[in-house]
Amino acid sequence: MIEYGAIYPELILILFAVAIPALHMAIKSSRTLASISLVSIIASAGMVIYYMLDGYPVIIGDPASPLIVFDALAAVFSLVFLGVALVVVLASARYVESDRHLAEYYTLTLMATAGMMLVASAQDLLIIYVGIEIASMATYALVAFRKKDKRGAEAAVKYVIIGGLSSALALYGISLLYGVAGTSSLIGINEALAAQGVDLATLMALGLLLAGFGFKIAIAPFHMWAPDVYEGAPTPISAFLAAGSKKMGVVVLFKVFLVGLIAIKADWDIVVGIVAILTMTIGNVVALSQTNMKRMLAYSSIAQAGYMLMAIPLATVAGMGDFATGAGIFHVITHAFMKSGAFIVVAALAYVAIGESIADYKGLAKRAPLIAFSMAVFMFALAGIPPLSGFMSKVVLISASIEAAEVTQWMLWLGVALVLNSALSLYYYIRVIKYMYVDEGDSKDRIKVPATLAAAIVICLVATVALGFLWDPVLEFCVEAAGTLF
Amino acid sequence: MTFAEYAWLIPILPLIAFVIIGLLGNRLFKKWDGGAPIAIGMAAISLILSLIVAYEALTGDGTPFVQSLEWVVVQGGDFAFTFNMGIYIDNLTALMLIVVSIVSTLVVIYSLGYMGEEGGRKRRYYAVISLFISVMLGLVLASNFLQMFIFWELVGLCSYLLIGFWNTRPSAASAAKKAFLVTRIGDIMFMAGLFILFVGFKGNLDFDYIFNNLDSFVGGDSLLTLSTLMLFGGAVGKSAQFPLHDWLPDAMEGPTTVSALIHAATMVKAGVYLVARSYPIMVKTPDTLMVVAIIGGFTALFAATMALNNTNIKRVLAYSTISQLGYMFLALGAGGYIFTKTLDPNVGYMSGAFHLMNHAFFKALLFLSAGAVIHAAHTEDMRLMGGLSKKMKITSLVMLIGCLSIAGIPPFSGFWSKDLILAAVYEGVSISPIFTVLYAMGLVTAFLTAFYMFRLWFMTFSGTPRDKKIHDHAHEAPASMWVPLAILALFAFGSGFAYLFGLNTAIVPYGVFSMEYASAGTLLVNMFTDSLTYASIIVAIIGIALAYLMYEKKTIDPARFTSGAVGGTLSNILLARYGFTKAYDWFGLRIVYGVAKVVDFIDRKIIDGLINGISAGLIRSGSFLRRAQTGFVQSYAAVVVAGVSLIVILLFLMGGVI
Repeated sequence: MIEYGAIYPELILILFAVAIPALHMAIKSSRTLASISLVSIIASAGMVIYYMLDGYPVIIGDPASPLIVFDALAAVFSLVFLGVALVVVLASARYVESDRHLAEYYTLTLMATAGMMLVASAQDLLIIYVGIEIASMATYALVAFRKKDKRGAEAAVKYVIIGGLSSALALYGISLLYGVAGTSSLIGINEALAAQGVDLATLMALGLLLAGFGFKIAIAPFHMWAPDVYEGAPTPISAFLAAGSKKMGVVVLFKVFLVGLIAIKADWDIVVGIVAILTMTIGNVVALSQTNMKRMLAYSSIAQAGYMLMAIPLATVAGMGDFATGAGIFHVITHAFMKSGAFIVVAALAYVAIGESIADYKGLAKRAPLIAFSMAVFMFALAGIPPLSGFMSKVVLISASIEAAEVTQWMLWLGVALVLNSALSLYYYIRVIKYMYVDEGDSKDRIKVPATLAAAIVICLVATVALGFLWDPVLEFCVEAAGTLF
Repeated sequence: MTFAEYAWLIPILPLIAFVIIGLLGNRLFKKWDGGAPIAIGMAAISLILSLIVAYEALTGDGTPFVQSLEWVVVQGGDFAFTFNMGIYIDNLTALMLIVVSIVSTLVVIYSLGYMGEEGGRKRRYYAVISLFISVMLGLVLASNFLQMFIFWELVGLCSYLLIGFWNTRPSAASAAKKAFLVTRIGDIMFMAGLFILFVGFKGNLDFDYIFNNLDSFVGGDSLLTLSTLMLFGGAVGKSAQFPLHDWLPDAMEGPTTVSALIHAATMVKAGVYLVARSYPIMVKTPDTLMVVAIIGGFTALFAATMALNNTNIKRVLAYSTISQLGYMFLALGAGGYIFTKTLDPNVGYMSGAFHLMNHAFFKALLFLSAGAVIHAAHTEDMRLMGGLSKKMKITSLVMLIGCLSIAGIPPFSGFWSKDLILAAVYEGVSISPIFTVLYAMGLVTAFLTAFYMFRLWFMTFSGTPRDKKIHDHAHEAPASMWVPLAILALFAFGSGFAYLFGLNTAIVPYGVFSMEYASAGTLLVNMFTDSLTYASIIVAIIGIALAYLMYEKKTIDPARFTSGAVGGTLSNILLARYGFTKAYDWFGLRIVYGVAKVVDFIDRKIIDGLINGISAGLIRSGSFLRRAQTGFVQSYAAVVVAGVSLIVILLFLMGGVI
C-alpha cells in the first residue's frame, strides 16, 4: 500500500478543479466560482502548513531513488505557488466575469497550480517533466482564454510552439541522462555521475536541460516568447506566469543542477553564471526602451530570473549551498509578490479602461492615489530600494556572492553584475513613478477599482513591505528549506 | 553620578520641542506664540537637568563620566573600527553645560518679547532655536570627535538658518551664506584633523580612549602636530579668529537674540571648547599651542581696533566678541605652551575656560541689552541714539554692569578672568620674547576694550537725544525681556567669584595636571599683591576715562582722530575691516569660483559626458535588441536552437571534451 500523503495538497486542488465544471452547471457567477477556487487554495495551503507544523509525510517511491518528497523546500515553493494563485484568482473574479468558459478558467488555474506544486516536490526527472507538462498545458489554454482576442490567440500559439520545442529539448536531455546514468532519479543520476565522471553525452544533456527548463523561467536566449505571451495573455494570467510558472522553472533548475548534477559542478558553474549575467543584462537593457507596461514587466521578469539563476553557481561553492540557495528562494518569494502586485495593478487599471501603455499612467497619483502608491512601492521594490522586500533579497544575494568569492573569485562578478543591473533597472522603474506622480494626465477623474482586485493588490503590498522588515525569519526558513537539497 | 546616567536627556528635550514646534507649529500653537511655551519649557527642564548633572560632576573627584553605545561597527582585520555615540562629562563639560543651558533658556524667554511681532514666522524661529539648543548641548556632551563633529556641523546649520531668519532681506541671506561658507573652511580642516587622528589611533576617536592612549598614536610627532593644528583650524573658523573672522560681523544680520545666543555666548565658543577638550593632545604638540596663542593674541587686538569707530551697536559687540574669543585662545595656547616647557601647572587652561563662562554671561547681557535698545529705537545706528537712559533705566543699568564687566573693573566677572589670562601669559615672558609681545597685545586690548565699550554706552544712553523722534518713541523693554536681562546682569556681576570658591582647582585639564587647593584669602592676596593686576586695572580705567572725555564731556572731539590725512585713512581702513571683506569676495569670486568652474566643466563634460554616453549606448542597444524581437515565432525557435547549440559548445569547451 503506497502512502499518498505527499501529494494531498495537489489532490485537493485537482478535486476542486474537476468539480468546478460540474458546479458551473448550477452556478453562473464568476465571483462564486472564484470563491470556491479560493477555498480549495486555502485548504491546500492549510494542508501544506499542517505538514510544516506536524512533520512531513512519507516519501513516495524507493528511499534510495525517491519519486516525490514533500519536504521544507516543496512546502516553501508550494506556498509561493498557492499565494500567487490566491492573488490571481482574487484578481480574476471581476476581471473575467463577462467572459465565457468561466469554469474552465478556474479549473485550469487550479490544475496549473497543482502541476507546479508537483514539480516542487518531485525528485525524479520524469515526475518533474510530468508536473511541468500539467502546468504548461493548463497555462497554454489560459493564455488563449480569450480566443477571440487576436493578440491572445497569437501569444498562445507562440507559447505552445516554443513550449513544445523546449519540452522536446528537455525530454531529449532526460533521455540522454537516463542513458548515461541508468536512472531518472536525481539522486541516482548524481551518484552515477560522481562515479563515472563526465562525457560528451552528459554535457550535451546538461545543455539541453538548461535550455528546456530555462525556457520556463525565460533565461536568455530562450526568453523571446515571454514578452509576447505576457502582453497577449489576460493580465492576471501574465501575473500567474511571471510569478508562478516562472518560479516552477527556478525550483526545477535548483533541483536538477544542485541535486542531480552537483557531482560535475565544475563543468557547468561558469556556464550557468554566464547565462545568469546575460539574462539579467538583456532583460534590463531591453526593458529600458519599452513603452508597453506588460512588456516592460515581462523584461523585468527576465532580468529578475537572472538574479534567481545566479544562486545556482553560488550554491556550488563548498559550504555556501544552503545560504546561496536560500537567498535565491528568498528572492523567489519577494519577487512573486512584487511582480504579481505590479501585474495586478495593470489588470485593475485595464479593468477600468486605462491603457497598457506606460504613458497612459500619467497623472495617476491624483486619480487613484492608493493604486499609484502601491505601484510605486512595487516599482521601488523591484528596483531594490530599501526598506522594501526587493532590497533585502538583493542584499542577501549580493552578500552570498561576496562570501562565495572568498573561495571562488569569479563569483564576485555575479554580485557586481547584479549591482550594475539594479542601477540600470532603476531607470525604467522610476520612469513609471515619474509618470504617475510628476506628469499631468489628460483626465482628472477619480478611478474606482473593484474590491477583489484591490484586495489582491493590498495582499501583495503588505507582503512586499512586510518582507522588507521581517526578512529575518523568512530568510532563515528559506535557508532551512534549501538545506534539504544538500 | 546618579543623574549623569540621564544626561542624554539634556539634548533630547529641546529636540522634542523642535519636532513638536516644527511639525505642528502654527496649527497647534496659533494662540501660543508659535510654540514658544514648548521651547521655553523644554529648555528649562534641560537647564535643571544640566545644573544637576554639572553639580554632580563638579563635586565629584574629577574622573570623567563616560557612557557610550556602539553606533557603527566595521569588522575586517586591519580596517576594523567602531564609532560610538555617547556622553562624556568632566568638569569642562559641566562648565559648558551651565553656560549653554542658562543662556539659552534666558534667551528663549527674552524672545517672547523681542520676537513678539514676527507673526507666523515665530514657529520657524522657535523650532530652529530649539534645534540649536539641542545640538549645542549635544556638542558639549559628545564622547568622541566624530560625534562632536556631527553636532559641530549641525550648530553651523542652525546658525545659517537663524542668521538668514529674515530671508527676504538680501543682506541677511548673503550674510547667512557667508557665515556658512567661511566656517566651512574651518570645518574642512577639522575633518582633516579627524582623519589623521582616525588613522593614527587605529579607528578609535573616543575622547576616553585617545586621552588615555596618547602614546599609541601611529605616525610620529609631526603628524600629531598637524592633526592638532587642523583641529585648531576648525576652531578658527567656528570661533571667528583671524583670518576667518569676517563672517561674524555680518552674522549680526540675524535677530539680536540669535546674535546673543549663537554668535556670542555658545556656538562661537565651540572652537574654544574644542581646543580645551583636546588639551591632552595639544600639550603633546607645543608648536600648535604657540600658534593658538599667537592667533589668539593677535585676533584680540586686531578685532578690538575695528570696534573703535564703528557706529552700529551690534557690530561693535561682534568685534568685541571676536576679540574676547582671542583672549581665550591666547590663554589656552600660552598656558599650554608654558606647561610643555616648565611642566608646572599654570592657570592658562582654567583662565581660558573661566573667561569663556564669564564672557558668555556678560556678552549675552550686552547683546540682549542692545536688543532692548534696538527694540525701542528701531535702529542699530548709535549716531541716532543718545540720552536713552532716562527712558530705559533698567536697560541702561544692566548694560552698564555688562560694560564694567567686560572692561575688567573689579569685582565684576570680566576682571577676574581677564586678569588671570594676562597673568598666565606673563609667566611665559621668561621663556620666549614672543610672550612679551603677546602680553603687551593683551594689555593694549584691555585698554581698547574699556574704551570702545564705554564709547558705546555713552553714545547710546547718555548725553542729549540726537534723534528726537526715536527718543520720543523709545520705551522700557517689557518684563519678558528685562527679567532675563536682570538675571544675566546678576551672573555678569557675580560669576567671577567662582574663581575664589574652587573653580581654580575644578577646571583643570583632566589627566594633564592638577592644581593645589588655595583658599579664597590666599587667592585674593596673591592677586592683589601682584603689580600686574594693577596694570590691567589702570589701563581699563584710562580707557573708560578717555571714552568719558570724548563722548560724555566732549572735551576731546572724536572728529580730531578722523579728520587728518593719517587719521582719516586709518579710520577708513578700520571701517573697511582692513579690507578683509573685499579680500573674501575676491577670493570667493576669483579663486573659488574659478576652481568651481573648472570642476563644473569636468563634472558636466567629462564625467556626465561619460555617464550620458554609457546610458545613451545602453538605451540604443536596448532599442536594437528590441528590434531583434521580430514577433515571428520561427525566428524565436531559431534563436532557441542557436542558443542551445552555443551553450552545448561552451560546455564542451569548458569541459575540455573537444
